[in-house]
Amino acid sequence: MAEGAAAVAEVDVADAEVSDRFGLTWQPALAAGILSNLDRIDVIEVIAEEQFGAPSRATRALETLAHQVPLLVHGVALGPASTAPVDARRLDRLARLVERLEPAFWSEHLACVRAGDIEIGHLAAAPRTGATIDATAANLSRAASIVGSRPMVENIATLMDPPASDRSEVEWVSSVMTASGCDLLLDLHNVHANSLNFDFDQVEYLDRLDPERIGAIHIAGGCWIDGPDDERRERRYLDDHLHDVPDPVYDLLVEVGARVRRPLTVLLERDGRFPPMRHLLWQLERARAALAEGRLRAQC
Amino acid sequence: MRPEFETFLARLYTDAPLRARFLAGPREEAERQRLTVEECAALERIDRVGLELSARSFAHKRTLKASSRRARSWWDWVRAALGRPRH
Repeated sequence: MAEGAAAVAEVDVADAEVSDRFGLTWQPALAAGILSNLDRIDVIEVIAEEQFGAPSRATRALETLAHQVPLLVHGVALGPASTAPVDARRLDRLARLVERLEPAFWSEHLACVRAGDIEIGHLAAAPRTGATIDATAANLSRAASIVGSRPMVENIATLMDPPASDRSEVEWVSSVMTASGCDLLLDLHNVHANSLNFDFDQVEYLDRLDPERIGAIHIAGGCWIDGPDDERRERRYLDDHLHDVPDPVYDLLVEVGARVRRPLTVLLERDGRFPPMRHLLWQLERARAALAEGRLRAQC
Repeated sequence: MRPEFETFLARLYTDAPLRARFLAGPREEAERQRLTVEECAALERIDRVGLELSARSFAHKRTLKASSRRARSWWDWVRAALGRPRH
């Protein structure tokens, strides 16, 4: 879709009653563009682990930024979806960061990132069972007690249907929310990616979530990747944060707007292959229009 | 889920020779790891394409993280050489 297309302008965003917020993930490569466009960016998400080893002057700079625009802290390496207790040292560092930056909220993925002494390297889907629901809720409770507030929890994208699962992804995510008391950071691109890889209806997925427990939204892009040669070249869709947000994700955002009454924070995740800043801002404007369209549909 | 099962999954993601042995004979390898009958049965039905692609994706992420750590170490070395205090 071309920039400036009618889809962005069709909906009068000012008509939406609730005050939704739209923002980006902080990336040093985007710093100049973000700082010169704070009138169009309502909120900035900071990746927690990128601050842990950073010079203190970098964290001080973020503290200063927090006076101008609300910050969010987003964890990517806690790995609460595990039978092992989450690492107390990581939680202590997270608690200190949250204390310094005073974010509107903090969040973490419903993923396993290590087991025993093995670092997986990224976010792996835990088998979807009653045991992992209980273990994840216990880890989130431990995290909340150390950090001082409950995280929002994010549904993840996966290339593999986790073995030994006895329920669907959305059932598992909903059960973790119920057991932990944590609200959902709903990643719409992850829903889209998983629906392509595992053939489920993404709108039905939304229908099975409690809309009042959805507090924030991630949008991002991805690409198709080929499977191993000996598996008939089956493809999977990868959530890589390196491509533009695809149209079905904006369609899902309209559906979210039609279902959720509370104000939402919507964040565009882009981790590399950065386009010009105006192109990222245009995607944010499309997101504003999509959510407002859904809000207005709910009023009709 | 038992921690042993979780650890075996993590090994499948990160250990290419183990993964190759496992894909050649899932039940045999799972039994060799002393997993339960139910766990062995679940692994026999594993999503093979998903396992390979996940392992590839995780390996890429580990490489990126290692590069980032090396870049930071290099910068720390330069700072130390210049005599600037580390903040």
